[in-house]
Amino acid sequence: MLNVAGEPPGDSWGIFAFLCAALCNLPTVPALNGTEELGAGQSIQKTYDLTRYLEHQLRTLAGTYLNYLGPPFNEPDFNPPRLARAERLPSATVDLDLWRGLTDNARLAANYRAYSRLLKYLRGLDSQVGTVELRHRLGHFCSSLQGLVLSIAGVMSSLGYPLPAGPAGPPPSSGTPAAPNDFLKKMDDFWLLKELQTWLWRSAKDFNRLKKKVPPAVVTLRIEARGF
Amino acid sequence: MANPIPSACCVVLAVVVVYAQRHSQQDSHIQYERVGADVTMKCGSMDWDAAVTWTANGTDIDDSHLNGSYLILKNVDLTQSGQYSCYEGSSWHLKYQTNLRVGVPPKEPVLMCRSNNYPKGFYCSWHLPSPTYIPNSFNISVIHGTREMVCEKDIFPKNRCHIRYLQLFSTVKYKVTLTVTNALGKNSTTLTFDEFAIVKPDPPESVVAKPVPNNPRRLEVSWQNPSSWPDPESFPLKFFLRYRPLILDQWQHVELSDGTSHTITDAYAGKEYIIQVAAKDNDIGTWSDWSVAVHATPWTEEPKHLTTEIQIIDPHLSQRSGDNLPQPPPPPPPHSLRTLPVLSLFISSILHTLRTYHASRHRCGGGQSHHPPSRGTCPKKPRR
Repeated sequence: MLNVAGEPPGDSWGIFAFLCAALCNLPTVPALNGTEELGAGQSIQKTYDLTRYLEHQLRTLAGTYLNYLGPPFNEPDFNPPRLARAERLPSATVDLDLWRGLTDNARLAANYRAYSRLLKYLRGLDSQVGTVELRHRLGHFCSSLQGLVLSIAGVMSSLGYPLPAGPAGPPPSSGTPAAPNDFLKKMDDFWLLKELQTWLWRSAKDFNRLKKKVPPAVVTLRIEARGF
Repeated sequence: MANPIPSACCVVLAVVVVYAQRHSQQDSHIQYERVGADVTMKCGSMDWDAAVTWTANGTDIDDSHLNGSYLILKNVDLTQSGQYSCYEGSSWHLKYQTNLRVGVPPKEPVLMCRSNNYPKGFYCSWHLPSPTYIPNSFNISVIHGTREMVCEKDIFPKNRCHIRYLQLFSTVKYKVTLTVTNALGKNSTTLTFDEFAIVKPDPPESVVAKPVPNNPRRLEVSWQNPSSWPDPESFPLKFFLRYRPLILDQWQHVELSDGTSHTITDAYAGKEYIIQVAAKDNDIGTWSDWSVAVHATPWTEEPKHLTTEIQIIDPHLSQRSGDNLPQPPPPPPPHSLRTLPVLSLFISSILHTLRTYHASRHRCGGGQSHHPPSRGTCPKKPRR
C-alpha cells in the first residue's frame, strides 16, 4: 500500500494518475513496504522527542556540574572567549542558508557525527568527578545520549542512508593534549556542556524539518531513483 | 564699464553674511546646567562694574540677582530655562545672549533585546527611565565573540535597531551595550544573552471566535501565525489558548502543539466568552504576549412568545385576585416550538401554586398560613 499522505481530498484524478504511474514501475521498484515509510516518520518523531528529553535532562545536569566547577563557570553572565582548544568539539554553528539547504542525508549525518563525538568526550570526563549523585546523573545522561545516537542511526538506515564511517578525528584520550592546568580542564568541561546544549537545540530544529519533509518525499525519492 | 547690478548684489550679500555671523555668535550659544546648580553668567566682554540690564525671555531681571554685571542664579530649576540676554545700560546694545537649558545627567537606560523573527535576527529597543529635559544621544554596540556587529537603526520607532544573524546555533553569547550621553553626563547598560534566550514571537493575529450552529456549548476559534515570524514551516509555533466567561475570573487553558484553530466544547450555554491566544517557538524561547481579546457567545435558540401562554392557561387569574398584576412587556415573536411544552409546564405549575394560594386566602381569611387549605375548617372572619 503506497503512502499517499498529503494528497488533498477529492483530488481523485491526481491519486489515480499517481497510482497508475507507480504500478507501471512496480516491477522495477523493490517491494515498497508501507510500514517502512511510516516507520521512518515514527522514528523521526521519537528522535525529536528524545532530543527534547535530553535537553531537559542536560539543564539539570549542567546546573549541577557547573556548580561543582565553581565560579566563574556557574555565573550566568560568564562569557569567555573561545580558545583554540574548544575548536576540536563539533560545533552546531552554521550559516543560515547553508543549514536550510542541507539534504536530509547531510542533516542526519551531521547530527550523528556530532553526538558520537560528544558522547566520547562526555565519557572521557574524569570519573572521579564530584559527588556520587553527579556521577550517577552523568552516567544516566550518557546512556540517554547513546540512545539518541542509536536512534539517529535507526532513522538513517530506515531511509536507506549509509552511516557515516565512525566519528571524525582521533578519540579524545589519545589525540588531544591534556589540559595543562586545572582551570583549562574546567574550561574544556564548560565548552563541552555548552556545545551539547547548542546541539540539542539545533537537533530539535533539524528533526522538525525532517518530520515535515520525510514521509511523502521517501516514496517519490525511491521512484525517481528508478528512472520514473 | 562694469555691470553695477552684480556688484550691488555682492555688497548686499556681504552685509547679510556679516550680520548673520554676528548674530549667530550670540544666538546659537546654548548653556546646559544641572538642576540645583548655581549659575553665573557674564555679560560677554563687559567689565564687572559696567551698567547692564539682563532679561530672561524678554522680561527684565531685577538687580537682586546681579553681582555687578554678572547674573547669579542660585539652585536653578527647570522653570528657569530660557533665553537670557544682556544689554549695555544706556545704549541698549545687545552684548551677550545665551539659551539656558536646565536638565539632569542621564540615569541608567533600560535596554531590551528580542527576536520576534527567528531565525532572521533580533532587535533591541531602549528608553530612559526618567526624562533629562535636554537632548540625549544614544550609541549601541553589539559584540559577538570577537566580532563587532552593526545594529541598524530603525526609522520608526526611534529608539530601536535591528541585527541580522550571520550564523545560527551559536554557542557564543551576544553582548549589547547601550550608552546614553548628554551635555551633563553619560550612563550605560549592558545585556549579555544566548541566541536562544531572546526568542519571543509576536502574538497571533486575526483571532476569530464564532459560535457553532446548533451547538450551545461550542465555540470555534481560529487565528493566524504572527506575520513577523518568517518561517513557520521550519520553525513551527505552538499555541496557548485561554478563555473564560465574562462573569467569571478563572481562565481555562489549552495548549496546542500545532494547527491554528481549536473548538471549545465546554462553554457555558448563553454566556459571553472572552478568548485570547499566545504563541511560542516549539522548542526555544518564551511565550508571546496575549493576543487581542475576542468576544463570542455560543449559539442559543431564540426565546419563544410568553404572554399568549399565560392568557390561554388561566384567563380568570386577573379577575380573582383583585390586585393589579403588572402587565407583561410585549414579548418577541416566537421562533421555535421546541421549548413550548417545557415552558408551559413551568408556567402552569407556577399558576397552580398562585391559584392554590389565592384559594386558601379566600377560605381562611389570609394571615393564617399555618392552616393547610385541605383542612377545610377555618375560623370564620369578616371579609376585608
